[in-house]
Amino acid sequence: MSALSAEEIEQIVAAALTGDRAAESRMLAALRPGVLAVLRFGAFHRWIDQEDLTQETLHIVVERVRARTIDDPRKVFAFAAATARNLALNAARKMLRQQTVVDSDLVDELAQNLEMEQSDLPDSDDRHLAQAVSELLEELPTERDRQMLIRFYLDGIDKQQLCRDLGLSPKHFDRVLMRARSRLRTIIERRAPHLALFPRVVSILVPVAMSFTFWVRHFGSW
Amino acid sequence: MKSLERNSFEEQTRLVPRYVAGDLSRSERAEFEAWLVSSPELAFEVEMERRLRRGIASAARRGWIKRQAPVDRSRERRWQFAIAASAVLSVGIVMSLAIPNGESTVAPGKRLFAAAGEQRMASTRTVRLGSVRGSGGMPDVSVSLTDAPGELVIEPDVVVLTCADGAIELECAGGSAPQTPQYAEYEMDLVKRHGATLSWRSSRQAPVGRTQLSFTLRNPASYDAGDYDLIVRGHSPDNSEVVARFWLRVSAQ
Repeated sequence: MSALSAEEIEQIVAAALTGDRAAESRMLAALRPGVLAVLRFGAFHRWIDQEDLTQETLHIVVERVRARTIDDPRKVFAFAAATARNLALNAARKMLRQQTVVDSDLVDELAQNLEMEQSDLPDSDDRHLAQAVSELLEELPTERDRQMLIRFYLDGIDKQQLCRDLGLSPKHFDRVLMRARSRLRTIIERRAPHLALFPRVVSILVPVAMSFTFWVRHFGSW
Repeated sequence: MKSLERNSFEEQTRLVPRYVAGDLSRSERAEFEAWLVSSPELAFEVEMERRLRRGIASAARRGWIKRQAPVDRSRERRWQFAIAASAVLSVGIVMSLAIPNGESTVAPGKRLFAAAGEQRMASTRTVRLGSVRGSGGMPDVSVSLTDAPGELVIEPDVVVLTCADGAIELECAGGSAPQTPQYAEYEMDLVKRHGATLSWRSSRQAPVGRTQLSFTLRNPASYDAGDYDLIVRGHSPDNSEVVARFWLRVSAQ
């Protein structure tokens, strides 16, 4: 995972907005995981090429930064997120229209709302994931936390109801979920590192490779 | 987007499960995604949330999750009530058998009516769907063609209450709670996922008691086996929006 915090990324973007080309390159690498996450988890991942759209989004962002039409780093984040979503929506619409769906309202709804499970996870990976989660559940300190996770994720019981039923405070609920995600990441990285979105080693290599690709593709040289 | 303070980050982290479940409103989602772009840390949280959901569903399918009957105090109270009601009913039956009655047999017509009523009760299935959908990999509603009810009544809990000016707030001007349904009318579509075809559309209805909706899908056995989206759409004179989507599975067996 990148060691950069949101505050550090904000500073990098602020420097890029002043025309600092080195900062611009660092900005692209820093924004990439988030843009990719929007495209992967924003309900479009079956319909789009995430890598391609990430590149396209960052290209648009860097052009806008250079044009100096945005003056606040936080607006750059919002612009990048909205650009990614719009590009994904257009790609999904195009894909659905090619499937001869005639109801245009329906196309928009499906494009905006279909959230499908990734179907490309091989059974062995699915098994690894199930094992990792089983291990995580066994490690939980109390049966109550275990039941909380199972009922939340499996039965779809909402947070308020679960807090009432199990006598939990909302803060405790949030803490258990955060710890569970953190612990799952550790287990996944140990058992099946390729299942983590950005394993630690890859997280160093990807931004470097990405910056290189971007610069060569758009500016002709490194 | 709020300032990049730690507090705000933690607020956004709390939204991760709702983002992955697709339950954020448009404005919440836009703000969350701006955060997502600015924070690789949040992107990891989202990724792990996704993995957690999928992993739990997969472990459950494989029978690796030990489930314990939840300690539900309201259910305990219901049991106590049921035991008491059974006792009263038993006493009533014993008394009715013990006391001679000139008209102890039920008239044939009445019996037929009762049987028809039971049949009607048995052929209607009511499903209440919370605003938070079930985990990925598990349909929200499952219907078997071999044992399908005559009517499937779907009651989604999706109506958001707003202030009189349409603002979505926890507290309205003057400190009152939101009272107005976000949309005047709601309708439900049944969309077959394979081919994305519209299979059924309900008539529009206004929420009863401000938040209750009830859509009746007649003869679900007449639909093909497969996966469907149940899309709930809100309508106002100047706007319409999909407010919830659920997953219905019609299985052959």
